[in-house]
Amino acid sequence: MNELLQFVITGLTVGMVYSLIALGFVLVWKSSGVANLALGQMVLISSWFAYSMLAQVGLPTWLGLIMVVVFALALGWIIERFILRPLIAQPILSLITVTLGLAFFLEGLVSFIWPKSVAALPHVLPQQVIHIGTAVVSMEYLLAAAISLALFILLSLYFKYSRMGIAMRATADDQLAVQACGIPVTKIFSRSWMFACVLAAIGGILMSSIGGITYGLVHTGLKAFSVVILGGLNSFLGAMIAGPIIGLAENVGDGYLTPLTWPGVKDVIPFIIIIIVMFIKPYGLFGEERIERI
Amino acid sequence: MDLPSGVRNFSYAKDMAIFRTKAHWALLLLLLVLIFTSPLYLGNHWLSVANLIGITIIAATGLNILTGYCGQLSIGHAGFIAVGAYTSAVLTNRFEMPFLVGLISAGLLAGFVGMIFGIPSVRVKGFYLAISTIAAQIIIIWVINHWTSVTGGFNGIPVPPAEIAGITFISQGSQFYLIIGITILVIFFAKNLARTKVGRAFVAVRDNDLAAEVMGINLFRYKLLAFFIGCFLAGIAGSLLAHWIGFLSAENFRITDSILYIGILIIGGLGTTIGPIFGVIFIRLLEKGISFIAPTLESTFDLPAGFTTGIGPMVFGLVIILFLILQPRGLAHRWQLFKASYRLWPFSY
Repeated sequence: MNELLQFVITGLTVGMVYSLIALGFVLVWKSSGVANLALGQMVLISSWFAYSMLAQVGLPTWLGLIMVVVFALALGWIIERFILRPLIAQPILSLITVTLGLAFFLEGLVSFIWPKSVAALPHVLPQQVIHIGTAVVSMEYLLAAAISLALFILLSLYFKYSRMGIAMRATADDQLAVQACGIPVTKIFSRSWMFACVLAAIGGILMSSIGGITYGLVHTGLKAFSVVILGGLNSFLGAMIAGPIIGLAENVGDGYLTPLTWPGVKDVIPFIIIIIVMFIKPYGLFGEERIERI
Repeated sequence: MDLPSGVRNFSYAKDMAIFRTKAHWALLLLLLVLIFTSPLYLGNHWLSVANLIGITIIAATGLNILTGYCGQLSIGHAGFIAVGAYTSAVLTNRFEMPFLVGLISAGLLAGFVGMIFGIPSVRVKGFYLAISTIAAQIIIIWVINHWTSVTGGFNGIPVPPAEIAGITFISQGSQFYLIIGITILVIFFAKNLARTKVGRAFVAVRDNDLAAEVMGINLFRYKLLAFFIGCFLAGIAGSLLAHWIGFLSAENFRITDSILYIGILIIGGLGTTIGPIFGVIFIRLLEKGISFIAPTLESTFDLPAGFTTGIGPMVFGLVIILFLILQPRGLAHRWQLFKASYRLWPFSY
């Protein structure tokens, strides 16, 4: 029983970080209708950049983190300006495959600049051990979850009250109407990519501060897809709720299924969930079902 | 269809023929002679490149039927190839079945696995389908890596060379005939599939699946059929790959390979038979060129250590992106333009 509590807490907290990364996806999907399959690679490259700043250059943590955010903003801007903008109004197949090309490129860039495959990020978060009931949890996990939740709330408030946020929601709703109102749609696309990159970067730092920087971060990005599929592609709330569910399923499943199946079952549970969701409820828990007309 | 000026066809069958003038037939014959005599003057090294190109063309043609003609994006193609490769490897190695049985069952099993993961395509498309095929790839590779008693797990599995009616295909030259023979059959099949009822139904589904359904095309049947054919060819390619390499491990079927197959289609041109061929040749030669030139560049210009490993994916990614932005219809479209221009040369109007 005590191990169950352990699995639940780890799962929920890690799941919150998945949610955070997934939010970046939902943001881009909602505003521009682009499915960003380079999510994992964005997480990977930002984590390596954080490693450069903190471990190789040796900046103090706060300055290093600011540099990472600046880097993520720049990355998002570049991606939108030079890759996605020329493809506006192209078929969805091109929009998906171009992000695959981007994923390839970023992966190459990472192994070009950082030839090592594994590195430890200096700890950004304190790591005291906390006892909750019978479970022993590192402070890192709880803080990571708290940061994710705080960012989600911040983002929700931004969308609810700020001018730009309202414009972004409007773009998600109807691009033509927004253009007619004189809102620069391209600026909104660019903004959403920048946000997505920052979210991916923060998610990456949280993950790699817990587990180190490995190629597995790409898989973290892929797991974020199972979060968006389960939560529904265009729902922030869905992503926020589905994240902990995925984390929970993954960790509890890992604890109890490994003896029954093979080791490493943890890494496929999110993908099995994807397949199940696809069969039962393809638009997810909170997703809007698209009704097509000819 | 374009013909040189002055050539007329007077029957439907003639008008629909693939090879329509004597020049076409002559060129085809020349090409076939050139291909089948190439083991005589190509070295082992280039023959192995040609074999890899042949295998990749088979797989890419399968993906082209699925993605290019039927419009169902699959980012798990390497996973389906892996199913075929391991089926053939396990049957010929552990059960000592003949190669042909392995080849056919590789295709069938890969096709059935593809159909299972293709079922969501009936309700969802685009990104949803992309994700479920990524999930397929990851689940398949996980099973292969961990089902040690059958697949050998992380240690891999040795594969005996292909053997048909007492002829064993060991040398690159003999394998070349096997692989290129099957490749030509597959290309012929794909070219003709596109001109049948099934092929036209695929195109209708791609262009607008609701409209296709209204016209009486059974979406469930045709989408699953596309998955079956696409993954069947992937399985065939996988089986050939297994017997060509001689040793399998899941390392050969990474998710980046699946992405590379999509890239091949983009570069070659989606929904054309010639496209995958161009795309494969382009990508494989590019790969060859990079692996040839990168270490030299690294040592002469004193570049960082990751240059050789990193430059390949970077160039591929860049090529995919640039093709999508600048030449979205791929090399096949260039080829059409080229054919149109030489046909009319020197009076291009």
